[in-house]
Amino acid sequence: MNNHKDAIVVKDLVKKYGDFTAVDGISFEVKKGELFGILGQNGAGKTTTLEIIETLKPLTSGEVWVEGFNATDSPWEVKKRIGVQLQSAGFYPELTLVELINMFAALYNVHVDARALLKKVDLEEKAGAYVNKLSGGQKQRFAVMSTLINKPSILFLDEPTTGLDPHARVSLWETIEEIKKSGVTIVLTTHYLEEAEKLCDRVAIMDSGKIIKIGTPNELIKELLAGGFRRKIVRQEATLEDVFLHLTGKTLDE
Amino acid sequence: MNNITTQFRPYLALSWYSLKAAIRNKATLFFSLIFPIVLVVAFGLIGSSNQSFKIGLIEGKDEINPIVATVKKISAVKTTTASLEELNGELKRGKLDAVLKVDPSLFGGYQVTVYTSNANPTTSGAVASLVKGIVDQGNLRATGVTNNPISFSSYEVTGRQSRYIDFILPGQVGFSLLSIALFTTVFGFIALRRLLVLKRLFATPTRPITILLSQGTSKLIMALLQTTIIVGFGVLVFNFYLPHGWVTFLEIMVLSVLGLISFLGFGFFLSGLANDENSAPPLVNVVSLPQMLLSGVFFPTESLPTWIQPVANNLPLAYFNQAIRKITTEGGNFSDTIPYVVGFMLWGVVMYALATRTFKWE
Repeated sequence: MNNHKDAIVVKDLVKKYGDFTAVDGISFEVKKGELFGILGQNGAGKTTTLEIIETLKPLTSGEVWVEGFNATDSPWEVKKRIGVQLQSAGFYPELTLVELINMFAALYNVHVDARALLKKVDLEEKAGAYVNKLSGGQKQRFAVMSTLINKPSILFLDEPTTGLDPHARVSLWETIEEIKKSGVTIVLTTHYLEEAEKLCDRVAIMDSGKIIKIGTPNELIKELLAGGFRRKIVRQEATLEDVFLHLTGKTLDE
Repeated sequence: MNNITTQFRPYLALSWYSLKAAIRNKATLFFSLIFPIVLVVAFGLIGSSNQSFKIGLIEGKDEINPIVATVKKISAVKTTTASLEELNGELKRGKLDAVLKVDPSLFGGYQVTVYTSNANPTTSGAVASLVKGIVDQGNLRATGVTNNPISFSSYEVTGRQSRYIDFILPGQVGFSLLSIALFTTVFGFIALRRLLVLKRLFATPTRPITILLSQGTSKLIMALLQTTIIVGFGVLVFNFYLPHGWVTFLEIMVLSVLGLISFLGFGFFLSGLANDENSAPPLVNVVSLPQMLLSGVFFPTESLPTWIQPVANNLPLAYFNQAIRKITTEGGNFSDTIPYVVGFMLWGVVMYALATRTFKWE
């Protein structure tokens, strides 16, 4: 069972809500250690796909394998091996960061050094603060960090940078890249194309519940150009975002 | 993998942190710990005014006659003196229980008249027979009868003065348990669902039953704290009577645990029906309001109209209140509570059965 080469295998996955088909027969594999992006607009079916793999939602038909375990048959084995960051908080508002870390450690039956974990994402000073008192970027760094408590082999990040300012986004990208370096497989959803291009090894483009293309960002661009596509505007050497970051300093967001 | 051992630490942690979160939530803290105290204080103060008869005497007229003198000696009587018109006015407004008028009669004796109000038949009757007793005694003495054909004597048993606090406090314990089980559970689950806390917990290897048990445990600790505060406050401030001291206190705690377990069934059932913060209040009130009014929280169910009594006496909170009054107000043993414990536990079983159908995590 554990003799598998892919971290995640999804085969002909379908999810229906009544007459509405949210996920319409998608298949893909995520390789170990890979940063896999699912790109798509709101309502494309990204979150539903993620939540089925995370064992949070039952599937209508198809198969999902995580680290060699079937997500439908062995959800508890899957849950132990993954880290999940939801689109919005998911934390008790009346508990401090340290308390939340200790609570999650207990839920996974592991022991962690809460302060050391907070230090990793520059939130050491916020140890006694409530999640609601954090800035958007701090919240997301904490959410991502909290997924690492059980030392998962696969991490799911659902639109981690949505709603963040440029500084916070860049800072979170760095955190994600660091986690990737430690060998963790990461699946990330986003509707920022720039983010997908910068971070992901491979991306799946999703639209109306279907995956319409999978490949590395470079492959996809080359394929498009080979088809005779030319951008209408000449590419700028810098963007307004670069200007902003240059002027204000590329530091953390607080 | 043994589930029980792997779920034990998650269970403890979730119970502890849910309790911590609840205590830090100001609304929860107010409604579960401070509000009951406010009610107990309010009702404790009502109960402390001593029962006495207020009798009006007519100005300048009666002060010297022996009947008035005897009435004045009775400790349960308070007298005021004014003109007849004023006194009658007071009587109509309910400020006086009776007006006593003593006129010299034609034959050298007295004509005694008692005016009472039909608004309060119990006190009226009591005052009238009190005065009549004095009159009869006076008549017998006047006619020289010393050897009464019928003699009368009364004995008082050494009972406790029944005060409102001794009635209201057990009712408050019951009502607070129902409130904590309903309000904090229903609104708690809605908040946990809305904030995706439950979803985040489900992404960990925590079993659903662990989450439910830990929620129940944290509410149970809150409830025991609440009962301790209400009873402790009652004992210290209002001299609330525990017939068997610590034993009664422990029995109250055991009843509270059982009561909360039963009432949580309502909480779980309703939190499945309520979708959001808007649909919850009517649902919660439909369950809590009738029980607050009909289950003997503020006044005994016997004082309700007879047709509604069969309903009122079978409400879960009514069963709980009857059980707790068995061991407090009535000074009975724990075994006396068993029929009532079975009563509210059956309600609990029905509610848990319904909750398994309605409960939803998202």
